Amino acid sequence: MQRFVRHSFRRTLAIIAAGTALASAAPALAQSLTYVIPFPAGGESDVTARIQEPVIRQLSGKDVVVQYKTGAGGATAWASLNKLPADGSTVMGINLPHIILQPIQQDVGYKTDDIVNVFIFQLTPDAIVVPADSPFKSLKDLIAAAKAKPGAITMSGSGTHTGPHLSAATFNSLTGVKTTYVPFNGTAPSVAAMMGKQVDAAMTFTTAAIQQGDKVRMLAVALDKRLASHPDVPTFKELGIDMVSGVYRGVAVPKATPEAKRKELSDLFAKVNQDSGYRKKMTDGGFVITDIGYDKVPAFMAQQKTSFEAAAREVGLIK
Amino acid sequence: MLLLDSLIAALAPTNLLLALGGVIAGTVVGALPGLTATMAVAVLVPFTFAMQPAPALVLLGAIYTGAIYGGAYSAVLLNTPGTPSAIATTFDGFPMAKRGDGDLAITLACLASVVGGLVGALSLLLFAPPLADFALAFGPIEYFWLAVLGLTLVAALSEGDSLKGLVGACAGLMLSMVGSAVIGGDIRYTMGSSILLGGIGVVPALIGLFCIPVLIDLVASRDEHLELDGKVAGFRLREALRIALADKVNLARSSVIGTIIGVLPGAGGSIAALVAYSEARRASKSRDSFGRGNPSGVIASESANNATVGGGFIPTLVLGIPGTPADAVVLGALLVQGVKTGPSLFNEQGSIVYTFIFGLLIATVLMLPVGLVLGRYAYRSIIAVPKAMLVPAIAFLTVIGSYAIQGNMDDVIVMFGTGLIGWLMSRFGFPPAPIVLGLILGPLAEQGFVQAWMIGSATGNLVGMFFFRPISLAIMAVAALTLLYPTWTRRRERQRLAGGGADAANTAPAASTAATVARVPDHGAAVVAALLAAVAAFALWYANAFSMFGSVFPRTIGAAMLLACFGVVVRSLRGSGKRSPGLPPHDLARSLLLVGAMALWIAVLDDAGMLLASCAGFVALALCADRERLTARRLVAFCAAGIVLVAAFALLFGRLLGVRLPAGSIMPALLS
Repeated sequence: MQRFVRHSFRRTLAIIAAGTALASAAPALAQSLTYVIPFPAGGESDVTARIQEPVIRQLSGKDVVVQYKTGAGGATAWASLNKLPADGSTVMGINLPHIILQPIQQDVGYKTDDIVNVFIFQLTPDAIVVPADSPFKSLKDLIAAAKAKPGAITMSGSGTHTGPHLSAATFNSLTGVKTTYVPFNGTAPSVAAMMGKQVDAAMTFTTAAIQQGDKVRMLAVALDKRLASHPDVPTFKELGIDMVSGVYRGVAVPKATPEAKRKELSDLFAKVNQDSGYRKKMTDGGFVITDIGYDKVPAFMAQQKTSFEAAAREVGLIK
Repeated sequence: MLLLDSLIAALAPTNLLLALGGVIAGTVVGALPGLTATMAVAVLVPFTFAMQPAPALVLLGAIYTGAIYGGAYSAVLLNTPGTPSAIATTFDGFPMAKRGDGDLAITLACLASVVGGLVGALSLLLFAPPLADFALAFGPIEYFWLAVLGLTLVAALSEGDSLKGLVGACAGLMLSMVGSAVIGGDIRYTMGSSILLGGIGVVPALIGLFCIPVLIDLVASRDEHLELDGKVAGFRLREALRIALADKVNLARSSVIGTIIGVLPGAGGSIAALVAYSEARRASKSRDSFGRGNPSGVIASESANNATVGGGFIPTLVLGIPGTPADAVVLGALLVQGVKTGPSLFNEQGSIVYTFIFGLLIATVLMLPVGLVLGRYAYRSIIAVPKAMLVPAIAFLTVIGSYAIQGNMDDVIVMFGTGLIGWLMSRFGFPPAPIVLGLILGPLAEQGFVQAWMIGSATGNLVGMFFFRPISLAIMAVAALTLLYPTWTRRRERQRLAGGGADAANTAPAASTAATVARVPDHGAAVVAALLAAVAAFALWYANAFSMFGSVFPRTIGAAMLLACFGVVVRSLRGSGKRSPGLPPHDLARSLLLVGAMALWIAVLDDAGMLLASCAGFVALALCADRERLTARRLVAFCAAGIVLVAAFALLFGRLLGVRLPAGSIMPALLS
């Protein structure tokens, strides 16, 4: 028995020693902001949080702990949001249209109005992307091909009942052609499928296209005006397709978070948006920065809800 | 010149120290069930932002490769993969440890990991662009056939009863469908529970299915955890080197398989190790010794999973598409660092990339001494601990490990639930390995199949899509070979013997001959199979509510499961087939006591807090497992050990790894 106690003690010491090596570089965890990302690491939500992280730390002196709570296209995390500590120490990333569409289709454990958004900081515009050596030089080519053979043109995208899915359906209904949407488990696999020519095109985001550089070609972006970094890529609007869409990202807090803390966090993210280093990294990556603070959120959400619900109903996602 | 400069940069003292520290920390984290390689990397990422890109990458690569190796410790010693990549290591590693060769298994795992890691990292250095092109050529249908190839392993993992193995695999595939469907968007089989909305997590299910049965059987039997027979723990390096050298073809093949599967963004370490294991078994002359402690199994699995580290970085760096979940974290870190991955990386920021690759190579080499020393330490502590302490210590690890995955109770409940079902099934002849296989390969098989179906119908070439693509054909050929080759060789063997005048029946294994003679109905197995059939029937009925694309897979698998269950019921009632051990007759009370105590522990975890609940749980489980007379001195020792262990791990998880452990409401209430 004594021998055992000694051994277990030694083992414990060894584990602590190994752990200390890991932690020695760690700043004090005393005052920290937990930032929950509802998607796997490396995605757009994560990258945004990671770029915000040093700025938040610098502005507020708080350490930022990024946590991942993945599953069900984000629903797992959002369903758990209101059970998290509501003392202003926890924020969670939110995505539109996800938090609008998911609760409409089925019971996913939360309702859109359960989520208290404090700041919407970014828009990731949709884009139709093809490999650089694709026969489709312009969106017109793609539409013509789809007209000639209804359903034969395949377009990959991330998930079902998601932003890309909705956009692909909207694209079909606005142009009157039929393309086949093929859902993949995330943006990266959907882009890989397009680059490997498993599908003809990808309904994805400007960010994913920009990362691939000259290996891919954007046929059109779903914005009001052209991307500053890509002045040669037309918008859908210019081509007569009234499509301004993409994924909005922001942060929400648990419902019980006091009003003062909500405003404080909204102000913090507003300040992060003003940081020049942050702005450059985001726009270089193909993101569009938005400044929708806590006071503007209700009106924005109401407008988004109406337009997304209408779009979803029109294309048959909502019966 | 660039290469030489980068090599010199990688050899800078800070980089060497980071590689060493990363490998040590990674091995420790990887060895703890629940803490995966992905988590090890994710925990470290914030610390790397203050560093230069190259050393940051070296540190991340080192911790990643260390964690993949560390997963072998718990696989060998506790029959619980420390990371999902180590699943196939349990198949032969644990039987080796059981018979007292745990030290040899760990040393072999270390050697194999180093070789595999080197092959992977060298491929990253030399063949990155062509391998990245290969990754892109791998479409949905190829992933589907790869999953089928992985599923052929079921026959090998069924422990003598393929039909029951098939039932298990179908059950695993059904489990993989729980939650919201990527294609179709249906919410499947959650029974309205928000816990299951995100699906059954692979990591908690792994811990449950592999570890809970070990715990329950450990208290039910009088045997020690590992049979030592007076053997002492050593490095056994010379012996391991001899075995590895004799098995060099397997080592090379598994490393290459690991690299190639690592390159595929949809696969990963666990699938690489499973395929390498399957190939090692097929190519081996002593096929039947696999699963019973054949060192070749450990070599195949461990070389393949470490090869995926280098392999996985290929699409990550060349295409900006993560090869494995851990790579996704690294990719995020790179983007934040301002390193732009993708086609231009190797030209524009070549010095960072090559310094990283050399750093990864160095870290892999450092894994040899680090792994040997830490491995011996882990082995010695497991064999030094008496059973009365080992049982609660392992139980505590399963609880805190599954809690740490996402920092909530859901995974603990899933872990314990799957563990109980797995234990019950394994007592009636349904081994856990096929269930895990189904759970891991399910999403790959389903998404690949339905995507290929959609693309094939859209282009009007369904048959060509499924059967006539070159890479698919190659995978199909290997799968067919894996399935049919053993039967074919066995038949030839039988023919040869029959030709020699011997009675063919004599060549059949003795056990099955005995079973044919005895023909005792196995009512227990029949009842379990009937229950599973009911589950399958329910799943089939429930699938009516799903969308077309969301229901293809549930219907197919549900029907297959129903048929296989029916077959098992008939065979069990007729008394043909292998007889299952059934519930432990003498010590059922002790087993149930353990289950009850653990359930109570988990039930009060949130309210009582991790510390209080776990200390109490530790002592309760120690009492369940203890077979000696309880003296005051022993009770004090249990309590003291419980408090020390629980406090140490709570510190490790809570403070160093940043997991929010439940503080509980009782303790603060009592104090105020």
